Amino acid sequence: MARFVFFGGKGGVGKTSMSAAYAHKLATAGESVLLVSTDPAHSTADVFDQEFGDEPTPVEGYDSLSAVEIDPEREVTEHLMETKRALGDQVSAGIVNEIDRQLELAHQTPGAHESALFDRFIEIMREADHDRVVFDTSPTGGTLRLLSLPEYLGGWIDRLVEKREASIDLYERAAIGGREPRRSALGDPILARLRERKEKFEFARETLRDEAEFVLVANPDELSVRETERAVGSLAERDLPVAGVIVNRLTPAPDDDENGRGARFLRDRIATEEERLAELEALDPPLLAAIETRVSEVKGSFLAEVAAELDIETTI
Amino acid sequence: MDLSERIAAFREWIAEWARGLYHGMVSHPAYELIEKEAEDREDAFLLACFPDAFGIPSPVSYYTAELLPYLAEEFAQWERRMWDRDSMLERKGEQYHF
Repeated sequence: MARFVFFGGKGGVGKTSMSAAYAHKLATAGESVLLVSTDPAHSTADVFDQEFGDEPTPVEGYDSLSAVEIDPEREVTEHLMETKRALGDQVSAGIVNEIDRQLELAHQTPGAHESALFDRFIEIMREADHDRVVFDTSPTGGTLRLLSLPEYLGGWIDRLVEKREASIDLYERAAIGGREPRRSALGDPILARLRERKEKFEFARETLRDEAEFVLVANPDELSVRETERAVGSLAERDLPVAGVIVNRLTPAPDDDENGRGARFLRDRIATEEERLAELEALDPPLLAAIETRVSEVKGSFLAEVAAELDIETTI
Repeated sequence: MDLSERIAAFREWIAEWARGLYHGMVSHPAYELIEKEAEDREDAFLLACFPDAFGIPSPVSYYTAELLPYLAEEFAQWERRMWDRDSMLERKGEQYHF
């Protein structure tokens, strides 16, 4: 498996449980692991009965497991504050007031959360000194958008750089006869910043393609199977490798001699699930594990049990 | 004043006039034109960076907001210019001397 492993899938299928179980498996195998939750619902805290923040916090009871819960709201505020500080350093108070509105506006656009999340996500990939990083992502739609950002924004930034270069080039050419050009390409802070951004997006794109793998979590029901099908397609379209599919919440079979209403219900249910399972198996990526429904939430001792059932390699 | 001095003074006067004529007819309109064109490109750049200033949502405004501290004065002037400008013809017309 790759160094960065993403757990994706429809909402409510058990991504958090599965990623926590996998992180548990890796950590008990002796690797240093960072579990990152990008889901604003943040249920990692519930699995380990411990609060996590924006910085990696060691998980109690493990030697080599840490967890982070990214809070996009906090990231947006921090970004806003940082820009305002730079603004105060650079320009006079009169201009600050004029620009303030634009700054606030930029930080309230619908894309701001996504961008902030993405920024932090790049930072984590870049700075993590753990052997493995396991991402518990938000439901498929949001994650796929997040992962296609490098491509999309990279192109946009390219266009901005081109425009800026064109105008600077003209300013330099206008400086006929040894006059000082109004702007020069050398030491232009705007170009420098845009290029820095571009470089970050490129890093994200390359890392996602070369060092990341996706595990899709599905339940044996029609909606979830369809969504998994679509996710496999979109990931392939973006050249992102899928390691396999985990089926979660399979119905346990009753004993053969039981014949009550409950047992009949379970047998019928299992028959339906078999069909869905066959559909999942027909998909290209392999089935990595089939996990039965537990009597209660996957945490504590259940975590170790589920981890044992996960047929995913723990070595890179 | 002997002849050589008078010739030298005359040549200086000619040179000054020639420089002035060249500046007025060639170099000044040229750099003014190029600079105006550069300004137009800069306007386009600012619009691409901050379309949300005019109600057009932008996917990168969160990132370009970082540029504002360095673009502050240009931004303020640009915004005012964009709101005021009546037509493209008016702006383009400024670039020519009739």
